[in-house]
Amino acid sequence: MIVKSMQVLITVLAVAGMLLPGTAWAEHRGDDTVLVGGALARTGRYAEPAGRFYNSITMYVDQLNARGGLLGHKVVLRLLDDKSDKQTSIKLFEKLITSDKVDIILGPYSSGITDAVANVTERYKMPFIAHGAASSVIWQRGRKYIFNIIDIAENYQKGAMHLAKEIGVKRIAIIGEDSLFPRMSRKGAEMWAKRLGIEVVLAENYATRKQGDYTALLQKAKSRRAQAIFSNSYFADASAQIRQMRELGINMMMFASTVGPGLPRFAKDLGPTAEYVLGFSQWEPVMALGHPGMGKFIADYKARYGGKPNYHAGQTWAMMQVVESTVIKTGSFDNVKMRDTFATIKVRTIIGTYKVNDIGINNHDGLTFQIQDGQRVIIWPPRLAQAKPRLPMPKWSDR
Amino acid sequence: MEKSEVRSIYLLAGFLVFAYALPFAVGVWTDSIFYDRQWLADLATVALSGLMQGGVYAMFAVGLTLIFGVMRVINVAHGELVVLGAYLTWVMFNMPEWLGIDVYVDPLLSMVVSLPLAFLLGYGIQKLLLNAVVGGPELTPLLITFGIGISLVNIVEWIFTTDYHTIPYEPDAIHLTASIAVGKNKVISFGMAFLISMSVYIFLKVARLGKAIRATAQNADVAMVCGINIYSIYMITFGLGAALAAAGGTLVSIQFGFNPETGLQYTVVAFAIIILGGRGNFIGALIGALMLGVIENLIAFMVPNGSAMVEIAAYGLMICTLLIRPRGLMGAKEG
Repeated sequence: MIVKSMQVLITVLAVAGMLLPGTAWAEHRGDDTVLVGGALARTGRYAEPAGRFYNSITMYVDQLNARGGLLGHKVVLRLLDDKSDKQTSIKLFEKLITSDKVDIILGPYSSGITDAVANVTERYKMPFIAHGAASSVIWQRGRKYIFNIIDIAENYQKGAMHLAKEIGVKRIAIIGEDSLFPRMSRKGAEMWAKRLGIEVVLAENYATRKQGDYTALLQKAKSRRAQAIFSNSYFADASAQIRQMRELGINMMMFASTVGPGLPRFAKDLGPTAEYVLGFSQWEPVMALGHPGMGKFIADYKARYGGKPNYHAGQTWAMMQVVESTVIKTGSFDNVKMRDTFATIKVRTIIGTYKVNDIGINNHDGLTFQIQDGQRVIIWPPRLAQAKPRLPMPKWSDR
Repeated sequence: MEKSEVRSIYLLAGFLVFAYALPFAVGVWTDSIFYDRQWLADLATVALSGLMQGGVYAMFAVGLTLIFGVMRVINVAHGELVVLGAYLTWVMFNMPEWLGIDVYVDPLLSMVVSLPLAFLLGYGIQKLLLNAVVGGPELTPLLITFGIGISLVNIVEWIFTTDYHTIPYEPDAIHLTASIAVGKNKVISFGMAFLISMSVYIFLKVARLGKAIRATAQNADVAMVCGINIYSIYMITFGLGAALAAAGGTLVSIQFGFNPETGLQYTVVAFAIIILGGRGNFIGALIGALMLGVIENLIAFMVPNGSAMVEIAAYGLMICTLLIRPRGLMGAKEG
């Protein structure tokens, strides 16, 4: 009986301990290190973009430690693999906060996973910058410990839609994966289409897991007389779609995707098929953008990983810059104090200025690029355009 | 034929007619059907594409049905064997570039190496892991293949990471008419699938070894009494099933993207097909594969938001067939 009562007591105390928020973990660490942790998609369908997060984080931490660490503490990095899975990510963040007692949390990849994880981080009052999430709905739930740094999903098709209007597109199809980010990106595309007077003849999402054959969907867009396809997609689906458009001989005036074409492998794997495809980017390694520190980052990244960084790598680097500045300004690892700094600090990063509004959203403008001669070339907004858009796309038979 | 048998086949036929009519009915109801020439041409393209897709499905479904038919082993690692075939093809396709040799290796030619390798792997799995448990409770081999599947995913992930890969192969269209087109790689895949499936079918019908496999499937004890080494037949059968899965993998690799975790969806597809066609029946698997390929595309084409619902096709067919006629279209009666 006594043993059982003790067990109950211990369990209650343990649960209560886990629920007690607001502890400044750093003060409890015995050694002279600061633990920075997070879970990222090292495997699964988001591994390709999240792999670039991993690259930037590890490089930043190495350089940070070479500079003397954070507030004189050596930074120890603990990045776990969430397998592109929401449930796994929730468990890992719970573990990082309660068991590993990390001092600083780094966000995961994808809006869907970030939205789920934010419930855990809010409970423990652990602030973080959601560098892997663009869906504005995440910041409309009254959360206080999550901050945005990149342009929101609703704007991903903004540039492409303006360009569609310019070349006389009147009817479009909006397709995308059935998950949070593509749904928000679709919402934005529909809004911009309405605003610019373009008719949406098909708006459809496809199953997240079953990705491969888009013949029927593309044919559906064609049968509805769509002149352009706006695809709110990631890497695997975007590349399959453009490939199948070619296989089926489906000619459109424009094909604009969100995440896929921004990854260097898109143009490399698809070769000539990738030409003329439009994509969205939060940042490009183009010096004309004129943000401080870009040149060194691009050179270091290239030296370490053998290729230029893309926007995923860039936005992660920017996130790390904000984290470092925040810790320095706060002067401690107290999570509640750090939260207040995240909410007020202004930092000039390599992708632009970080300064969030009342609900934690940063005012960052993205870019629209086109794949021209195998390279990503900025074509929108006009003031930053590197080249003129090559639109409408030529027919497959004329290429 | 028993009365209940006749009734169940009519019921299943009725259900299939209903299943195929449903996307059209939903299309009419939601004004997604346009009664013009262009729409009909698009419908024909979609149906044709589904048929081609079905051909690829058939490749791995016949392998699965063969393994089940002969050994009553439910191989849940079948999708992983498909993905392994895709990776073997991808490696051989890229090998010359990695070695700095300027030679083009046709992805289909890689089957000359990948199929024997897959055969040996299947042969080894049966010899080392499954022969000991065949004939016992069906759950044991199922759990073993489940473990093999997880191990294969992890090994492939470890070697190739989780990046998506694809092989650019014959990317252009074949225009049958001005408005009906089909991908060249799809036609080539379908042709290969047909050729390989038919070769295996003829082998099973005509060759001495094929007859021994069929005899073992019908009654292992009698086959053994007749002098057939059934354990050797089991190993050859699993090897053959694995080789067919790998062949399916090659055909997948030239059409779609794949990564180590893509296998699961192919396992589900293969199961739906062999349940519809009849577990253990070769021709049933071929028919089931073509039917699933077409209905998936019809749903995606005509039902609003149908692309998000294509998985219903596989699961729905599987569940309804099990309810109406558990032995499927052409499977042998159990018990």
